[in-house]
Amino acid sequence: MLSFIVKRILYAIPVLWIVASLTFLLVRVVPGGPFDSDRNLPKEIIANLEAKYNLNKPLHEQYFLYLGRLAKGDLGVSYKYANRTVNDIIGDAFPVSLQLGCLGLMIAICIGVPLGALAGVNRGTLIDYLAMFMSTAGISLPSFVIGAGLIFFAGISLKILPVALWETPAHMILPAVTLAFGPAAYLARLTRGSVLEILEKDWVRTARSKGLSKFSTVVKHVLRNALVPVVTVLGPITATLITGSFVVEYIYAIPGMGRFFITAVSNRDYDLIMATTLIFSILLLITNTIVDITYKFLDPRMEVDG
Amino acid sequence: MKTVKRDVFTRVKKIPTAHFSMWVIGAICFIALLSYFNVPFTPYSFDETSELVLAGPSVQHLMGTDELGRDVLTRVIYGSRLSISIGIVTAIVGFVIGTVYGAVAGYLGGKADSILMRIVDVAYSLPDLLVMILIGVLIGRGTMGILLALALTSWRGTARLVRAQFIQLKNEEFVEAARAQGQNHVLIVLKHMLPNSLGPVIVAMTFTVPAAILSESTLSFIGLGLSPPACSWGTLASDGWRALRTHPHLIFFPSMFIFMTVLSFNYLGDGLRDAIDPRTRI
Repeated sequence: MLSFIVKRILYAIPVLWIVASLTFLLVRVVPGGPFDSDRNLPKEIIANLEAKYNLNKPLHEQYFLYLGRLAKGDLGVSYKYANRTVNDIIGDAFPVSLQLGCLGLMIAICIGVPLGALAGVNRGTLIDYLAMFMSTAGISLPSFVIGAGLIFFAGISLKILPVALWETPAHMILPAVTLAFGPAAYLARLTRGSVLEILEKDWVRTARSKGLSKFSTVVKHVLRNALVPVVTVLGPITATLITGSFVVEYIYAIPGMGRFFITAVSNRDYDLIMATTLIFSILLLITNTIVDITYKFLDPRMEVDG
Repeated sequence: MKTVKRDVFTRVKKIPTAHFSMWVIGAICFIALLSYFNVPFTPYSFDETSELVLAGPSVQHLMGTDELGRDVLTRVIYGSRLSISIGIVTAIVGFVIGTVYGAVAGYLGGKADSILMRIVDVAYSLPDLLVMILIGVLIGRGTMGILLALALTSWRGTARLVRAQFIQLKNEEFVEAARAQGQNHVLIVLKHMLPNSLGPVIVAMTFTVPAAILSESTLSFIGLGLSPPACSWGTLASDGWRALRTHPHLIFFPSMFIFMTVLSFNYLGDGLRDAIDPRTRI
């Protein structure tokens, strides 16, 4: 197990290096720089600014300077949010996004798993069709539509919940629900499929035939086993949550990573783009590793190559 | 092969949701095509003097008008051209790149395979939308840029799928027989292996269309995709978002079209999957 984890970490380093290099190249090749925005700065000032941030040096020099700083854990400075280091911004934004993501994931699990299980157990009935319609509809609705709908009804018409910012727990309800929609639909589909598969196993029939009620068979025997594949989709779900956070943080004006990424891209805020991209890929690599470990743990027959 | 195709088609038609979805998709595509000949109003001309600025739905303007007095229904129909073609073109380009890539990796096997698949792994280590945003910014935010950004992220799944199929097929007897006959590699791949691996790939392609439509609209919505004067469901929704408080009809109708189209493609994909491989029916 330990050697597996070490192997994965060793594998992650070159991946991150490639991601860092590609993003580095990408953001600098893109037309437009961080200082040619709306304010028309004189040429001299731009030149001075560029000199200050080493942007006038040849590309390969900038690259090695960046890697050197990165190795020391220095993510650079933001050109847009003057006097703030990227470490600072990430330090503020990351906990917000983490909170949002965890809340979203919790809501998604609480809705998706029971819905899917209910559909699977009642296969072919109205409940099944309704649950599956909800789930297909859930993956077919863009999160900005869900967000706009929720804001319109809960925020504007009924005025029961705040629709922007990230302050009190009440502020967190709408964004977290918006974010949870997609993953919940995904989890419901998966749980249903997995429940159906387990229901056909011999030992379920045994449990039923020894007189166990349908309810306790499902809860004690089916669900426990059906949840195994559900655990392993943590990877793709994390990716969905990250993608969702772009939109959710945008529409609810939440100062999280997704929002900073979007504004950084628009502003050509090089170091901030790099830092957010790297953190997103680290997150994905970590969850994928956890998923692989869970696979190994749950089913030792599984061959997982590092 | 022909009978197989007809067989799949009959089976899809027996699934009510998939059958109905085919009609919905057909209708939306028809309306999009029809817009080249006739639309209720012109999409770009506007009339700021009339009271028809930001009017709600009425008999004359079924979906109301926008801030410049333009008919929303006409704009939604125009938007369907761009949104649907982006979905379909992305699916086709992703299909071609992914199939070639996966076929090469799966057929060659060994070192070449593991190198090619490592590249896919790296490409997968970033969330789609993030890659799309970065590529879109690089190429430019026109239709071409978005198309390329979407296509360049959509091939990875297909590549994995085709590779897995090829690795399985490589050891099948009919492939071995073809090889024993001394047929050349390209012919074996094209004639024997590709047709046998197409089923799941076509299903994946069906799911790529709605995914691309969703991605395009999301990108345009957050201001990193298409921008006016380009007119897609995403840019329309983005316009409507700003007036959500006062004129919700502006975001409602484009969103409804996105939802209907994406839902139909998803149901069609489900139906195709069940029809092509009845064993996976769950």
